Amino acid sequence: MSAPRVEFFFSFRSPYSYLAAPRAFALPRHFDVELVFRGVMPMAMRGQAVPLAKRLHTLRDTKREADRLGLPFGRVHDPIGAGALRCLLVGEHAADAGRVEAFVLEASRAIWSRAADVACDGGLRPICERAGLRWEACAAALEDPVLRARVDANTQRLADLRHWGVPVFALGDELFWGQDRIEDLELTLRQAGRQIR
Amino acid sequence: MTLRDRIGRRVIPRALVALSTVRWPRRAAAAVRRALGGRARVQLFVAFDDPYSAVAVLGLADRVAGRRAVLAIEPVVERGIPGDPAVDAKRRYAIVDARRLARRDGLELARTEPLAADATAFLAQWAAAAPQGAVRTAFCAAAMRRLWCATDGPVQPHEYAALWRELVGGEPPGDSAGVRDGERRMRRRRLYDTPVAVVHGQWFFAHERLAQVEHRLDELGWTVTA
Repeated sequence: MSAPRVEFFFSFRSPYSYLAAPRAFALPRHFDVELVFRGVMPMAMRGQAVPLAKRLHTLRDTKREADRLGLPFGRVHDPIGAGALRCLLVGEHAADAGRVEAFVLEASRAIWSRAADVACDGGLRPICERAGLRWEACAAALEDPVLRARVDANTQRLADLRHWGVPVFALGDELFWGQDRIEDLELTLRQAGRQIR
Repeated sequence: MTLRDRIGRRVIPRALVALSTVRWPRRAAAAVRRALGGRARVQLFVAFDDPYSAVAVLGLADRVAGRRAVLAIEPVVERGIPGDPAVDAKRRYAIVDARRLARRDGLELARTEPLAADATAFLAQWAAAAPQGAVRTAFCAAAMRRLWCATDGPVQPHEYAALWRELVGGEPPGDSAGVRDGERRMRRRRLYDTPVAVVHGQWFFAHERLAQVEHRLDELGWTVTA
């Protein structure tokens, strides 16, 4: 019986995605699953309105949740626009290089707790290097139309699942939306006998 | 990076997060309130067509009951982000998700399809006319339990009229201004969806932050009494 696939829909502009990432990437270490990273365009770059009140609440709530989870949060540099897209492209390259976990954790932590400006090379390069990636290859990824098509396909895949936000976990037909729904996904996997003992 | 960019991307988010961590003014105010014999107040905005609101009402009614705290339920009908293209998908997903959240609290959702706001608007009208406090909480909790945990299909007002007679007394009221007042209070606080719990200056989407609401009450000194 092959390991079921869990698709992890992630946005570099979503602070809740940042909170979810360490536990998401840990799933295959605790459960017999294949985790597939799917970096998607931010909601606001997909034509969905994000009211100011929601943005303000998200920051305050993320701070409370980050404190609860023991993750640093607060020195923010909003990556919307070029920064988010550059991270998505490098994320696809990192997946090919077997370094996607290292890159996503490093980049999201830098954006949400060290105010890294990933829209410029000076901000992105040290993140790539700390994640074990060669900068020259990352710079090439930023111009790679194949990787861009993969980002668009990931974004479309989320839309095809009739979902709008991130982080989302898809296990077969079941969707789990939110960093605080990982426990429900884990329960489902335990009930399916997928826990590694 | 332009100055405007720097302010929007860095300065404002950072300041907002930093300000959200300043706890002492609310703690001091809570200490004074407690010293004067005052109770905590958890203001909870809910909609009866919202399964998350059922999880919040049933979860918070239990959690607030053991403290010197008042659960002030504000029923509304209008909710959500205006023009949200994902509203139908969100309401369908909410049934699945609320079912999982309810199970965490030992509840089982019976309903399988979203409800239209119109179908439950009468419950908001009635609840808004009930006296605020224990009576309103009891009616809302019983109505939410019946609506989401005990029935599926069309909503039958006569079933809820019986609950009203039992828990509030008399006949259910007609139209009341209470819902519109609650919606106005919700808009004034820039709350855009239900269920929201406002606890002395902080607000939470209550269905998924039940433990955090408890933590907030603990932090302010309104701990569970023996």
